[in-house]
Amino acid sequence: MKSFYRILSSFIVLVAFNTANAESIKWLHLFGEDSSQYPNMVRAVEEFEAKTGHTVVLQYLENESFKAKLPTMLQSNDRPDIFYSWGGGVMYDQARAGFLRDVSSVVPDSYLDTVSAAAADAFTFEGQRVGLPLQVSQVAWWYNKDLMSQAGIDVSQIKMWDDLLDAVKQIKAAGITPICMGGKDKWPVHFVWTHLHIRNGGKGLFLESLNNGGWDRPEYIRSGEQMLELVELEPFQKGWLAATWPDQAGFFGDGKCAMAFMGNWMYGAQASNSASGEGLADANMGMFNMPMTSGGIGDSGDTLGGINGWLFSSTASDAAVELMMHYVSLDIQKEDASNGAYIPIVKGADGSLTNPFLQQVAKNISNSEYHQIFYDQFLGADIGRVVNDVSTDLAAGIISAEEATQAVQEAWEFNQ
Amino acid sequence: MRSLKSQALLSRYSTLIIFLIPALTVFTLFVVLPIGEAAYYSFFRWNGYGDPEKYVGFKNYAYLFKNRVFIMSLKNNFYIIAVSLLVQLPFALLIALMISDKIKGATFFRTIFFLPYILAEIVTGLIWAYIYDGNYGLVATVWEFFGAEAPFIIADKDWALVAILIVVFWKFFGIHMMIYIAGLQAISKEVLEAAKVDGAGPITTAFRIKIPMLIPTIKLSVFLSLLGSLQLFDIIMPLTGGGPSNVTHSMVTYLYYFGVMRMKIGFGSAVGVVIFLICVFIAIGYQRTLMRDDNENKF
Amino acid sequence: MKTNFRTFYLYLFLFLMAAMIIIPLYVSVMGGFKHTGELRTNSLGLPKDWKFENYTSLLGNTDFWLFLWNSTVYAVGTTFFVVLFASMTAFVFAHIKFAANKFLYNYFLLGLMFPFATAILPLFLRVRDFGLLGTSWAVILPQIAFGLGFSIILFRGFFRQMPREIFDAAFVDGCSYYQFYFRFTLPLSTPIIATVSVITLTGSWNNYLLPLIMINDESLYSWPMGIMVFRGEYFTDWGKILAYVSLTLLPAVIFFFALQKYIVAGLTGGAVKE
Repeated sequence: MKSFYRILSSFIVLVAFNTANAESIKWLHLFGEDSSQYPNMVRAVEEFEAKTGHTVVLQYLENESFKAKLPTMLQSNDRPDIFYSWGGGVMYDQARAGFLRDVSSVVPDSYLDTVSAAAADAFTFEGQRVGLPLQVSQVAWWYNKDLMSQAGIDVSQIKMWDDLLDAVKQIKAAGITPICMGGKDKWPVHFVWTHLHIRNGGKGLFLESLNNGGWDRPEYIRSGEQMLELVELEPFQKGWLAATWPDQAGFFGDGKCAMAFMGNWMYGAQASNSASGEGLADANMGMFNMPMTSGGIGDSGDTLGGINGWLFSSTASDAAVELMMHYVSLDIQKEDASNGAYIPIVKGADGSLTNPFLQQVAKNISNSEYHQIFYDQFLGADIGRVVNDVSTDLAAGIISAEEATQAVQEAWEFNQ
Repeated sequence: MRSLKSQALLSRYSTLIIFLIPALTVFTLFVVLPIGEAAYYSFFRWNGYGDPEKYVGFKNYAYLFKNRVFIMSLKNNFYIIAVSLLVQLPFALLIALMISDKIKGATFFRTIFFLPYILAEIVTGLIWAYIYDGNYGLVATVWEFFGAEAPFIIADKDWALVAILIVVFWKFFGIHMMIYIAGLQAISKEVLEAAKVDGAGPITTAFRIKIPMLIPTIKLSVFLSLLGSLQLFDIIMPLTGGGPSNVTHSMVTYLYYFGVMRMKIGFGSAVGVVIFLICVFIAIGYQRTLMRDDNENKF
Repeated sequence: MKTNFRTFYLYLFLFLMAAMIIIPLYVSVMGGFKHTGELRTNSLGLPKDWKFENYTSLLGNTDFWLFLWNSTVYAVGTTFFVVLFASMTAFVFAHIKFAANKFLYNYFLLGLMFPFATAILPLFLRVRDFGLLGTSWAVILPQIAFGLGFSIILFRGFFRQMPREIFDAAFVDGCSYYQFYFRFTLPLSTPIIATVSVITLTGSWNNYLLPLIMINDESLYSWPMGIMVFRGEYFTDWGKILAYVSLTLLPAVIFFFALQKYIVAGLTGGAVKE
């Protein structure tokens, strides 16, 4: 009897709410209304609602709250259908726990042909397609042209790590702070150490370590030693250990340091966090890739950065997937690219990039044979934070290069 | 007479049950059971998704006690307790003594001193992080006024904890002050009058009469301060995040940073259980030696 | 003469202390009037241009009032039940002799010893299993539970100090426990109720973590969650945040001012003689 009533009532509900409120799709993101990509998200929603009659609800959480809340949210009935992701280990954990939906059957090959294969692959797990990509980014050395020329540095001469060290010495001698760094947030520091890993060990050793361990191998110890060489020169701004990422961006934008090792989003951030609100002029900024290390077996074209996108939770409907395919499409990505919102992954959209820095990054990434996703995302919540911690400890001079690699190895073992 | 007595008994037991049930239920469901569950989780390696599956016995605890950062956070909690008991509480007492007499503006000062307690901890952390900023903060402005280059207190491994201790002091001395003021006002006027008549000055009165009569109050204040110090969390996160280089963690921030944020719920639970046991241990010891229970007003 | 010097130093000291408290608060209230860039360069002084819009845009923003309202609901809801349940429980502990009295009292003290951060996940699972997730009860019930310990200590102390004569008189008149509780205890307990209320209201008002975990619907956000709105991907609008925070401090301050007379009386009434 009970099940009859249940079926009856759900039927009535279904019928009653059929057309207008067919399915309400919850889309969880971290882009405030002021951000450059928000308008097109709204536009995609409006177009989709008009086209299909579904309703879409956009939900915003700021970065740290998002990370704090997502695990519990995914386990409740209020879980979002679509949510932002940096891919990597955190995504794998979510997939393993069964919180993601395999949407391979809903995403046709015709769609997949329109996006960069590498980007799409980043959102698969053990053959399941659990999400769709949105953008890519790269970490490189941003520099202030004025300050560099004041110190007499010719950036095109920086080809090897040792050249960079020499440049730092020269800049310091000229009385200029060589590098802005946000030590309190830690992740800006880990970019340096891990990019050295990429140069020293390359893709092969990374995959080897990922699958079979060996994070304490000599190539990675070398990265620590090289980082210590840099740190000994005291290149960072005073009080860098208490500086957050916004502080770092603000300093750079205020012209207080010559270089900063940061992702391409530094372009917008250095302006908005600066004291004047304007930051450095485009003509005054430049970017160069992490130089090669001597004896490193990685390729000098290898890049470190992100492939970010959207994941589908286990109860996401087909409509949610269709919404994403509508949003991550040529038209919208072209417009966002020309606004400099992000570096697109839909084929051909990068042609619309007007910002020279983003263009440069797009080129770097498409030429790169090995684009490593940020270690602190890729390796998962636990190992990732260990990497951040030891990078900062290394930079603060309180642990040795061996200890740093051992800590990562231990964390990896613990998580097997 | 007899029916009244049995009626009274019935009334007593029914009151007992009815009055106790609401609090007992809510408390057990939302505090005690979670403690039990946390204890259970502490024996697993679990990332918080689904159900705990990987049983690891006491491994989490073993790792904990060998961990350099946890040992440091234990020490930090100890420093916090020390500063609270040796600096903050005496200071609160001093202020309470100063303003409990009917001096002009007592109410004004009381309110001002209590304000930091009302301020949300995240907000306190944010404001003080700003003040301590070596480039633009208050500290920097003052230092530079005297012509020196301002230090970056929060970035300094040796001084960051001091910075935190100052904020803890700032935030909590108000509530202890209020407790002492209340205690002082409960001292009977006759005793104070008698002291005056005997020619005792304010300082003598304070030390010979007021403070001894405040002992029960002081005991309560110390008890609350001990427990509060062990649980310090919300102020540290926005100020230093436990840094630089993990030197300013308290046990609870350690729990949050190394347990919850790293999706190591089992490990985090183990830390929670350890904190709980330490608190219980201190509470029992404290109650046994210093606080008594009596049967006054019971019937 | 001597007294004058002493008074002078007394006041000097008190004013210095007051300054230590007011200055940080002043800095944040003023900060609300500054541009973010200026916050970094001019922390102490008056704003160069008064950016009123940080404050005015908040006051005109319906979300702001919604968050304040939600926080009020959580705070008042929690406080009401804490006062009711804790006073009932403390009544029993203070006035009724029974075997498990001391044991149960200590049982409640456990609530003071358990760090909330450990309880997040178990609490979340419990609330979810009760189907309360996303409702106000998800926030109110755990807050009640964690607030009971301290409140019971305060209530019990107060009740133990109540003059014996009232009981004797009431019982001779055939008053039952219930009647006594409602007719005598509660009315006479105004001071301690005020104390417990302020402490509970403040605790709930400022609670960030619990609502974050329990509430998903933006229309139920508490005010600390509202701060998120001002943190974008690249950029944190500190000016707006300081304005926001200064505004949310007001209700708590006003409430405290109104009740502070009672608080001291409440603490005096015996709670501190525990």
